[in-house]
Amino acid sequence: VGDKKDVRQGTLALMVLRTLDTMGALHGYGIARRIEQTSGDLLSVNYGTLYPALLKLEQEGFIASEWGVSANRRKAKFYTLTRTGRKQLDKEARAWEETAAILDKFLDPELSS
Amino acid sequence: VRKLRAWGFRVLDLFEKRRREAELSAELESHLQLHIHDNLRAGMSPGEARRNALLRLGGMEQTKELCRERRGLPALESLLQDVRHAVRTLRKSRGFAAVAVLSLALGIGASTIVFSVAYSVFYHALPYRDFDRSVVFEIRDVANAGGWKGRSFFSPEEIRAFREQNRVFTDMIYYVGLRASYYDGKTARYLPAGAVVSANAFEYLGVPPLLGRTIAPGDGETGAPPVFVMSYLLWQQEFAGNPGILGATFVLDGKPTTLVGIMPPQFNAFEASFWRPGGAEGGAAIMGRLKPGLSVEAAQADLDVIAHRLQKENPGGIFPATFRVFAQPLLDSMVGNFKTTLYALLAAVLLLLLIASGNVANLLLARATAREREMTMRAAMGATRGRLIRQLLVEALLLALAACGVGLGLAYLGLKLVVRLIPKGAVPDATVIHLSTPVLFLSLGLAVLTAILCGVAPAFQVARTGWQPRLSGNAGAAGGLRQRRLRGALVVGEVALSIVLLAGSGILMRSFLILTHTNLGFDPKNVLYFRFSLPDIYAFKFDDPVSMRQARQRKNALTRDLLEAMSGLPGVISVAESTQEPPLKYDWSDTIIPGRPHTERWETRFESCSEGYFQTLGLPLVRGRFFSKQDVAEARYVLVANQAFVHRYFPDQEPLGQKVKLEVLDRPFLDAPHDTYFEIVGIVGGYKTRDYDTRSWQSFPQVFFPYSVQGYSWRTFLVRTAGDPNGQLNSVRAAVRRLDPGVQIATSGTLEGALKEYYRSPQFEFVTLATFASVGLALAVFGVLSVMVYTVSLQIREIGVRLALGARRGNVLRLVLLDGLRLVSAGVVLGVLGSYATSRFLANQISGVSARDPLTLTVVVATIVVAGLLASLLPAFRATRVDPVAVLRCE
Repeated sequence: VGDKKDVRQGTLALMVLRTLDTMGALHGYGIARRIEQTSGDLLSVNYGTLYPALLKLEQEGFIASEWGVSANRRKAKFYTLTRTGRKQLDKEARAWEETAAILDKFLDPELSS
Repeated sequence: VRKLRAWGFRVLDLFEKRRREAELSAELESHLQLHIHDNLRAGMSPGEARRNALLRLGGMEQTKELCRERRGLPALESLLQDVRHAVRTLRKSRGFAAVAVLSLALGIGASTIVFSVAYSVFYHALPYRDFDRSVVFEIRDVANAGGWKGRSFFSPEEIRAFREQNRVFTDMIYYVGLRASYYDGKTARYLPAGAVVSANAFEYLGVPPLLGRTIAPGDGETGAPPVFVMSYLLWQQEFAGNPGILGATFVLDGKPTTLVGIMPPQFNAFEASFWRPGGAEGGAAIMGRLKPGLSVEAAQADLDVIAHRLQKENPGGIFPATFRVFAQPLLDSMVGNFKTTLYALLAAVLLLLLIASGNVANLLLARATAREREMTMRAAMGATRGRLIRQLLVEALLLALAACGVGLGLAYLGLKLVVRLIPKGAVPDATVIHLSTPVLFLSLGLAVLTAILCGVAPAFQVARTGWQPRLSGNAGAAGGLRQRRLRGALVVGEVALSIVLLAGSGILMRSFLILTHTNLGFDPKNVLYFRFSLPDIYAFKFDDPVSMRQARQRKNALTRDLLEAMSGLPGVISVAESTQEPPLKYDWSDTIIPGRPHTERWETRFESCSEGYFQTLGLPLVRGRFFSKQDVAEARYVLVANQAFVHRYFPDQEPLGQKVKLEVLDRPFLDAPHDTYFEIVGIVGGYKTRDYDTRSWQSFPQVFFPYSVQGYSWRTFLVRTAGDPNGQLNSVRAAVRRLDPGVQIATSGTLEGALKEYYRSPQFEFVTLATFASVGLALAVFGVLSVMVYTVSLQIREIGVRLALGARRGNVLRLVLLDGLRLVSAGVVLGVLGSYATSRFLANQISGVSARDPLTLTVVVATIVVAGLLASLLPAFRATRVDPVAVLRCE
């Protein structure tokens, strides 16, 4: 169970970084909605799991936060990607692609048969 | 690195907890608002919109908790919580805390004091570079025969041989004592003892000067201008710390010498107050620095080979027939005896610390029982066992830290006292004893260790027993009993340890009392002694017989005239001349008796003295006669021997009229009657003596001969006075000045003072050990008391029932006392066994008493048993006052 969660946590972090990379500054709710739209079920249980992930990313220095005002004029905490965050995203994305490529080959029905 | 950074943030979070918490609330609230807004726009009712938002978030508090785990350090936080809680609970039971802290503080304080002394003496005794690699050595006669025991003096040729041939030293220096006067413009003034050193000596020691420069290797070259360096003390005492004298030229022993430097305080290498470079014409001692990694034994073997080679190359040289080189670290040569004292003290404080720990463990156990309800309650509320154990350990740790604080305070004060008590000469003057960082850390470590030791038992007690029965309010008898056994065992241990401590200290103390109350055979009261420093006209050259005879005549005339002059002074009862003041005596000789050849050494101590010597010291005449005035005036070869001498060498013969030769007087360089037999004319009782090597009093064979037969010895004058001997010093000084203004009194004192100084070393042990022993006893008694109080509290119901059934109060009293006695006697048995097992460590520290002295042991056991019974009396009386009705109603 723990392994699965870890994998998911890692995925979630990568998604957050990717989201911030494409969308620019975004608040927690916005990130949650965006991830929900793109990933479907990862956050389907609850949005709350996003916040510890954000906290971790901020502690690691990959994202920064600042209080601001949302489109509908509400106070919200906005997250932005830092420079190390962008590097991390590149690294993680590449690693992910490599893993995915390996797994792809491994799981390729033509190869396994 | 990322991880580290994240941890850094988490630690920071600890301090910004409140702000972070508020921010998180705000963020989640804004999340909800945004979501609700969206939901409303999607057409939900306000209530539904809010419910849906909360649901999708997964609950406000749950999310917060998730974030909290990410933030800060939960483990540390709960530990802080434990600490806060421990402080609160300890504050609530101040009495308990005070007693526990005080117990441990005494243990830690005492250990810190002794550790400080040991650390300073073992590791920082000397301010010299790499002093732990400095080695001194001497030649020792290994046969118990002949007149030489060995020497640490080496001729220039030998010094050169050792320097060139050794393979163990990186560098080597030599040094020899020096007495010198300087001409201050009006008179020649004597300086305190100085030293002639090899020119590389200061480079070797590596101590920078306070002012100017030290002696440099270049100062030893031929033609180099003569220079010298002065100690701080001499600079202060003789020249009032005037920096202007630096660079001044002093006429030292008639030779203009420039003062080039002043050394810092504490520096007194070779026990000198000034140093000048020079050769070793008259012989010198050697010190070498071991190459890194080499042992003293290796050096000893190497030097031994060189010395034996020297012996072979110089037949007839001053080597004993069979000898070996004995090398030892410089430090050992300076603190030898004190080291064993320190080991004894270390053992004592360790015992003390153990006793104190036993006490605190006991207190904590008692408290754990009293707090069973609290613990049960906390367990029921969800505290895990681990958490409860940790809580108790934190409490113990807190106590230990507090004790450490108090203990260090005690140590700070106590150390000053102890340092003042340390006998002069026991440690090098250069040693500064103070609380140092490593010792502080050691004490802190000890405190933590004791905390864990003390806290573990009660903590596991809590962990082991079930919770259920406690909540009912019926303190389980089973757990109580097991605890009682544990606490009993602790007290037995405490009593046993205190017996070992008390017995050890007691035997050392008894040894001291025996030492100080020994009948020395002479009366040291009201005797002044003093020695001269003599001007040059009393000096002689070794190779000039004429100068020797002249010097002897002058010296003897001065002695005779002064004795005459002093005996007429008011307040003076009798006067005498001697070599050294008793009880010091290290002049000895092999004894030659015609027709009595012997291979082993016949050691006799000897004294050259005036006819008034025996009366002045109060030595009883046993047979024959004392010296007459004529004996001394005419320098007759007569001898007075003591009973030990007669007993040893003439057990079955008439000693009076026998002829005896003292082998040592045959030395060619001594101005003494060579190859001369002395006739024994009288037998005296003799007195106890000591030399520098032994701790205890010796009853050596001794002989006395008239001072006038020789011219080489020191002259120490003894004056028996009617009143305070120190008060006589001025009139004596005036008498000396009238005879010869050039003669100065260099040293003076009273025999009682000299004895006192000698007693300081055992007295130091006496005082410190007596203190540690009393503290140990008090702690052990307190341990018995606390356990008995606890036992009685457990038995209250039983006692109540007994009383209700008609038991007499006396029976109850006996019951409790017997209980206490059982604990104490178990401890006594173990303790006596323990002190027997450890007694051999004491053997070389004591004199006049056995290391298993039965009297001391009996007194110690009796003291502990009585103290233990007294400690049981209080709870026993309380037990007899139990009201059966009240107790039974409680049931």
